[in-house]
Amino acid sequence: MSDLPAVEIRKLSKSFSGVEVLRDIDLTVNKGEVVSVLGSSGSGKSTMLRCINWLEEPDSGSVFIAGQRIGYNSDKQRPMTNREMAATRARTGMVFQSFNLWPHLTVSQNVAISPIKVKGMPKAQARDLATQLLEKVGLGDKAEVYPFTLSGGQKQRVAIARALAMSPEVMLFDEPTSALDPERVGEVLQVMRDLSGEGYTMVVVTHEMEFARMVSDQVVFLDKGLIIEKAPPEIFFTNPASERVRRFLDRQD
Amino acid sequence: MSEWSIVWEARSTILSGLWLTCWLFTASILGAFMLGCLMLYLLERGGALAWLLRGFINTMRALPFLVLAYLLYYGLSQLGLRMNAVTAGLLAMIIYHGAYFAEILRGSRLVLPPGSIEAAQAHGFMPGSIFLHIILPQLLLRTRPLIGNQLIYALKDTSFLAIITVQELTAAANAVQATYFIPMPAFVVVILLYWAITACLELAVSKAGIFGKARGFENV
Amino acid sequence: MTEKAWMLLLEGAWVTLWISGLASAMGLVIGLAIALLRTARIPVVDQILAVYVSLARATPLVTLVLFLFLAAPTLGLSLDRYAVAIVALTINTSAFNAEIWRTAFLNFPRDQQEAALASGMTPATMFANIMLPQMIITSLPGLVNEMTFLLKSSPAIAIIGLVDLTRVTNRISAVTYEPLPPILAAALIYMVIISVLLKLQSLAEKMAGRLAM
Ligand SMILES: Nc1ncnc2c1ncn2[C@@H]1O[C@H](COP(=O)(O)OP(=O)(O)O)[C@@H](O)[C@H]1O
Ligand SMILES: [Mg+2]
Repeated sequence: MSDLPAVEIRKLSKSFSGVEVLRDIDLTVNKGEVVSVLGSSGSGKSTMLRCINWLEEPDSGSVFIAGQRIGYNSDKQRPMTNREMAATRARTGMVFQSFNLWPHLTVSQNVAISPIKVKGMPKAQARDLATQLLEKVGLGDKAEVYPFTLSGGQKQRVAIARALAMSPEVMLFDEPTSALDPERVGEVLQVMRDLSGEGYTMVVVTHEMEFARMVSDQVVFLDKGLIIEKAPPEIFFTNPASERVRRFLDRQD
Repeated sequence: MSEWSIVWEARSTILSGLWLTCWLFTASILGAFMLGCLMLYLLERGGALAWLLRGFINTMRALPFLVLAYLLYYGLSQLGLRMNAVTAGLLAMIIYHGAYFAEILRGSRLVLPPGSIEAAQAHGFMPGSIFLHIILPQLLLRTRPLIGNQLIYALKDTSFLAIITVQELTAAANAVQATYFIPMPAFVVVILLYWAITACLELAVSKAGIFGKARGFENV
Repeated sequence: MTEKAWMLLLEGAWVTLWISGLASAMGLVIGLAIALLRTARIPVVDQILAVYVSLARATPLVTLVLFLFLAAPTLGLSLDRYAVAIVALTINTSAFNAEIWRTAFLNFPRDQQEAALASGMTPATMFANIMLPQMIITSLPGLVNEMTFLLKSSPAIAIIGLVDLTRVTNRISAVTYEPLPPILAAALIYMVIISVLLKLQSLAEKMAGRLAM
């Protein structure tokens, strides 16, 4: 059980109206690992991340979450039912660039509702969990307010707490700091750094080079839907194999 | 002055009309609202049924309410389906205004940002649960003024049922004036009653705005 | 259905159309007059008009038609059924139109008014040449929408015995004992008329959209 990778992507391909966005992607994310995904805009980073929890259905290839194939019921040899799909998605957590909090619910309800409605957790227990997770992301005092009153950085920290509430096998981050004011980026990165310290498995699409360098175990570079570099940060940032990555890194400074 | 005291004497007729109007209105908007939500859910799921529902909603929007009431009350009797006027009227109200509620919600659904739904999918919500806990509450907060208008149209449409012999408020005014020959006071009282109910509805709908305001939903 | 029945239906449709059309036309003008009077904010007059609009919007057409029909003679007015129907529909629609016009007036860009006055126009010239043409275009979608609503409430005139497109189905089935075909045929005719109005409305929306650019 513990030997199974948290995420395994095999030969994943996806095109949008004839244009290939992902080509033969292979990627393994081991338990407790942090993988940063870099690449210029339009290279397919979001699409790859969204294929992991089947928000985007790939054309071919397969994805395994802690050993369980998503989208396809391997035992019964048929596509997953809605119920099976929901249960598998519940094992991943996702944090979006635009937060996507539920505006009609309080911060605390945003965190508690998924354990209640998806996992059937008793309400009181879910509320306690929400309180505890909001403390963890430094928003214990915001539990009863509605999302529209929060700053972008605060919203994103609520979104992280909300995803954590499902105790996912892996946390997927899609440019979690790109929509933030520069002075708000640090507070979100700090929370993510803390999570990696606690051993969470994370796949992070980001443009924060410093974060990728300091926190990740592996850095993956996507270019036109292909993974053209996959290396530990020490090697990726100092001695990348491909010319394309070298040019990308030069432009960053 | 004496004409007005006759209305007071005849108050039991007016009150029973008022009671029937209020009862028909309340029952039909509750039914119509649930029907509207159900239709929206079926539209959400797509397929042939959704296509049929779109046609049904557009048909209702192109018909006067009275035509539907006629269809249920007179038309269906030809097929052996006889209903009393109140049942036919109630059913017509539910179906007709259900279609309008569905259309109001659908219009708002089309412009609902997809992010909150994707987030729910990513957290493992089932489609029905997403509809009930994520989509519907946001639509209700966004469409409050339109729903308020629809409530007032529904109230006014109950008066059409007088034409198919339902003894609601307008029919009651007519009954009082026919007995005592006092059209002016009888109708003035009834019109003021409609006005008062409308004012209460408007107040309630505007008060309901605090739910949206608290969540930052005004002006969306 | 017989040819006779179709002829009766078309006659009913004609009654519906001309009564609604006439009331709509008068309602447009009276609505505009009410809106303008209200923007002048004359004390007492403004309050009376506000109450009028609110009452007329809250009163069901069936009730209003019946009220006018029965109460007019007691005030010494002898109106025939058609006149009652037209007056009632006009009262109703002018109240809704007044609100549409008023919104257009209140939302009219301040800077255009200032520019017109600064270039030496009198307020009346400015209103007629600058404001009204634009207000017509921006209000048109709402006004056409209100015509659709009026048409859908027009069967209210059946309560005083006028034979419109809805009521005529009773006439036909009284002879044939088959109510379903005439009702369905009437529904079809309503759908045709209203789809024309919806088409007009979407044209009006396009025009208004172009003005907003
Ligand atoms: N739903 C979609 N429909 C059509 N094209 C899409 C869709 N989503 C993404 N794309 C296209 O796929 C390519 C990769 O997009 P994306 O994965 O969002 O890139 P990144 O996140 O690296 O910027 C882009 O060219 C984008 O326009
Ligand atoms: Mg992206």
